[in-house]
Amino acid sequence: MRIASLLAALLVLLPLTACQRSLEEHEVLEFIEKADNAARKRFAPEICELRGENFELHLTFQGHEQQVEPTELTIDRKLFCKEAGKFSRLRQYRLERNSIDIDVANDGKTARVTSEYVETMPYYYPDMIPSTPDDFQHFQVVETTDESVVGIESGDIVFLRSDCNSSQSLVGKSSISLPYD
Amino acid sequence: MRALAGPAMLLVMVGGFLVFRLTSKEEAPSRDFIALEFAGADSDRTGSCYSLETVLLVSREGNPSRTWTSPREDVWTLELDDVVQGHGGPIRIFQTFTFEKVDELVRLTSVEASTGYLTGVEQNIDQFVRAAQAQRSTPVDRCLEPGATGYLFAPRR
Repeated sequence: MRIASLLAALLVLLPLTACQRSLEEHEVLEFIEKADNAARKRFAPEICELRGENFELHLTFQGHEQQVEPTELTIDRKLFCKEAGKFSRLRQYRLERNSIDIDVANDGKTARVTSEYVETMPYYYPDMIPSTPDDFQHFQVVETTDESVVGIESGDIVFLRSDCNSSQSLVGKSSISLPYD
Repeated sequence: MRALAGPAMLLVMVGGFLVFRLTSKEEAPSRDFIALEFAGADSDRTGSCYSLETVLLVSREGNPSRTWTSPREDVWTLELDDVVQGHGGPIRIFQTFTFEKVDELVRLTSVEASTGYLTGVEQNIDQFVRAAQAQRSTPVDRCLEPGATGYLFAPRR
């Protein structure tokens, strides 16, 4: 009985131990690798579970038409996860990380991660409904500077907030070889 | 005393789990609320012959994220949120509708929306009702009878 009580107490106290956990730079790097791989797989549940309860994404996006003002939007976790679901429709996608800088806060509770990414994927014109995933003329190359804050929630490392600054350019479909996956 | 420690701990765990489940559940109006007849935009707020559930279903565009919240009893707010691809990049669009139960009808009392959407209450009511008519949706029971009347509703012969 004594052992059972002890186990029960440990189970109850387990989430509290997360509050004491401190972030290490190598853990954050592993987490970012995991997040990048989830994006490469375009599997929404995996992408979504790496975002904290109150996650917020702020995106500034300069489209390929330079004369058009960049769009800005802020979305919460719910909408972000829904958008991640749309991601799975893509049949060709490449994500490359060019750089990463990890700055763990002195208290070890959060870390600021600044990374530069290049994504390549089909570009479907907003007014057109593609008849097949291959029904496009251009690939879009999106260069992004991502400043994210990661922290610990329920014992796991998660993104708490991401500020992304993206710039889009179009290249001819035939000029890039991007395998289907 | 020691014999009770185990069961007590188990009770704490089960209680904690139940509290978590109850507090983490997303809010949504009851079936009774969404089955209420949707009120028209005339001064008498005549029933439209369509339920709130019907008008919301037929007016659905795209696949927005839907969030219901209740600021007070018999009042529910529905927020539709989506991201669409514009020529300049992704754009967030939203519409927020507040519905209030008055007697046996549910009224649309306020609308907020992003640029490009109607924000007038009357205009939105008409849009909801006309969408249900265009889809030949099933009216509420009282309007199935010949000669029944309703806001913008053509009686059956």
